[in-house]
Amino acid sequence: MKIEVLFPEYCNLFADSSNMKYLKQCLPEAEFIYTDYMSEPAFARESVDLIYMGAMTERVQAMVIKKLMPYRERIVELIKKDTPFLITSNALEIFGRWIENEDGTKVKALGIFDFYAKRNMMNRFNGLVRGHFGDIPILGFKTQFSMAYSDHFKYSFIQVDKGAGMNPSVEVEGIHVHQFYGTYLVGPFLVLNPLFTKHLMKVMGVENPKLAFEPVIMEAYERRMKEFMDPKVKF
Amino acid sequence: MKKNTVRFYVTITIVKIATKILKLLGRNATHLPGWMANKLCPDFLGHLEKPERLVYITGTNGKTTVSNLTAEVLKDNGYDYINNASGSNVSEGVVSALLSKSSFFGKSRCKLAVLEVDERYSPLIYPYMPPDYLLCTNLFRDSYKRNAHTEFISGVLNSQIPKHTKLILNGEDLISNHLAMENERRYFGINCPDGHSSSDNIIKDIVACPNCGALLKYDYIRYNHIGRAHCPNCDFGSPELDYSVEKIDYENQRCLIKMPGGTCEFKLIGSNVTDIYNMLAAIALLSELGLEVSQIQKSFEIIKVVESRYYSENVHGKELVISLAKGQNPIACSRICDFIRHETGTKAVVCMMDDCYDAKESSENIAWIFDIDFEFLNDASVKQIVLTGVRNADYHLRLLMAGIPEEKIVLCDKEEDAASYVDYAAVDKIYILHDIYSVQYENAKKVYQDLKNRLEERGEEA
Repeated sequence: MKIEVLFPEYCNLFADSSNMKYLKQCLPEAEFIYTDYMSEPAFARESVDLIYMGAMTERVQAMVIKKLMPYRERIVELIKKDTPFLITSNALEIFGRWIENEDGTKVKALGIFDFYAKRNMMNRFNGLVRGHFGDIPILGFKTQFSMAYSDHFKYSFIQVDKGAGMNPSVEVEGIHVHQFYGTYLVGPFLVLNPLFTKHLMKVMGVENPKLAFEPVIMEAYERRMKEFMDPKVKF
Repeated sequence: MKKNTVRFYVTITIVKIATKILKLLGRNATHLPGWMANKLCPDFLGHLEKPERLVYITGTNGKTTVSNLTAEVLKDNGYDYINNASGSNVSEGVVSALLSKSSFFGKSRCKLAVLEVDERYSPLIYPYMPPDYLLCTNLFRDSYKRNAHTEFISGVLNSQIPKHTKLILNGEDLISNHLAMENERRYFGINCPDGHSSSDNIIKDIVACPNCGALLKYDYIRYNHIGRAHCPNCDFGSPELDYSVEKIDYENQRCLIKMPGGTCEFKLIGSNVTDIYNMLAAIALLSELGLEVSQIQKSFEIIKVVESRYYSENVHGKELVISLAKGQNPIACSRICDFIRHETGTKAVVCMMDDCYDAKESSENIAWIFDIDFEFLNDASVKQIVLTGVRNADYHLRLLMAGIPEEKIVLCDKEEDAASYVDYAAVDKIYILHDIYSVQYENAKKVYQDLKNRLEERGEEA
């Protein structure tokens, strides 16, 4: 099993790198390929079982778009072939149509999904999210400068029960197409959502997925779930 | 300084009366007067007269210590100055400090102000009170919710630093030492082995050249991205140092510092590499302000780090340590973990690091704990780790991910009960790590006192 982590030297903000650290402890036999920015992504020449990319700075977003643009068609092909992707925080914006700055200028993105992001650098948004993906409850935190907009979020990942979705006026969060999972949630996402982590391992082809430190991660998850269900907790 | 208005005079009258009342009530009046002034007159700071020399101390870690050290040396040498050491480092604290030494007409009664300023608040302060000197200790990833990342914070500072401001910067921090490149500047740093270097940190906030994108070549790393590096493709890299530590003698608590006027010996304020950076930063600033080396040396012989940040005591042969581990700040907490692993003897660690402020009426965003180098506590000398508070299950998972054996981990739900879980007989040193908020500091002091009582009882029995 091969897991490709894209540009880990840059895309590691808000503890997003712990997503792969935890997955590695769940899948000790898996091969993790850490592709740095100056190298050709492994997915360009071979099939991989998961592609992961995490949070980055706004300057790096432009660099990553430039880097991945030549591989756009290959990425679309992989998505259509059901290659699992996990994309967290503002890395999701790389796959949208564009990212708009406060002055109206736009950074053209890969344009794979029909949404755009709008930055507001002086008003950072922080919040909690509680929702579900099918019958899997999802918990997480948002910490971001931008919000995503679209006429229709056709391929949403999480149905939000409480908290902000892609923007505060919608109740859907993230993108889910084939086995592409993209979300603004940080936390790190896999550590906060052990049931989803099991699901992800299944779609990656793990027959009998086992969570590392299962009793402990479930205890942490259940405690947090209790807090997130408390009507007094502000989101 | 703006032309004073009726609104300003009404505000200053109300605020001065309120300050008197607060002081009569035994309060410090270090935040509320500034808050009131800003509410009643939003450009209040612009109406106050700027002291002749205005010095700001900013940066992710160490600004409070550097500000306190600088103030202590100035005080010891008979300077009259304005300082916010006992107050807050945001706009309200700065206004309160300046106001405390201003006349009714907004005239400054002091020629010198040395103020700690939170880097995020520079847009609210610098335009009204532009600094003559700015010392930046370092820039690291800090609160994800507030500060986002170092490129954002550097951008905020770069947009606010006036052209005339003289900068005093960490020559071994490639992020902060590239602030406002056109300004006059001095660099400080360590130019010898420090004995505690660690290059295995999770976070490295600068790995590639911001000019051309090539991976930086590090000559050495002291911790995280602190060290000397250069770009193999262009001229981006670490600068030459103006103030450098040339030799460290931990045993005798001395160091040699090369300064523009020669090399001088100073007493160390602690045994952590961050203590050395903090004292060096203060020495560089004081020297730039015109103090004689002998004046600074003399003061450093007697000053100590503020007790609320670090305090240790030997109780019947066991060392009991209480130390600040700033919540939502993974670098500061990693530094403590690194310090503990390098200390001699066997140790127990009590973690009281739940961020009460972030959790208030909500649930703490715990992302930051996954960026703390808890791997440093996976050391044979660390015999026990007591995890306290509502988030102890998250910390438990994090420690297991760091490879720490399950049998070394003890869970305690209530912070104040932690002392009864510590196996003090089995270790030489006990560290109590707490967040910055007063509730937690009080709990940490209670645990410290409980442990002290137990050790004293045990000592008397023996």
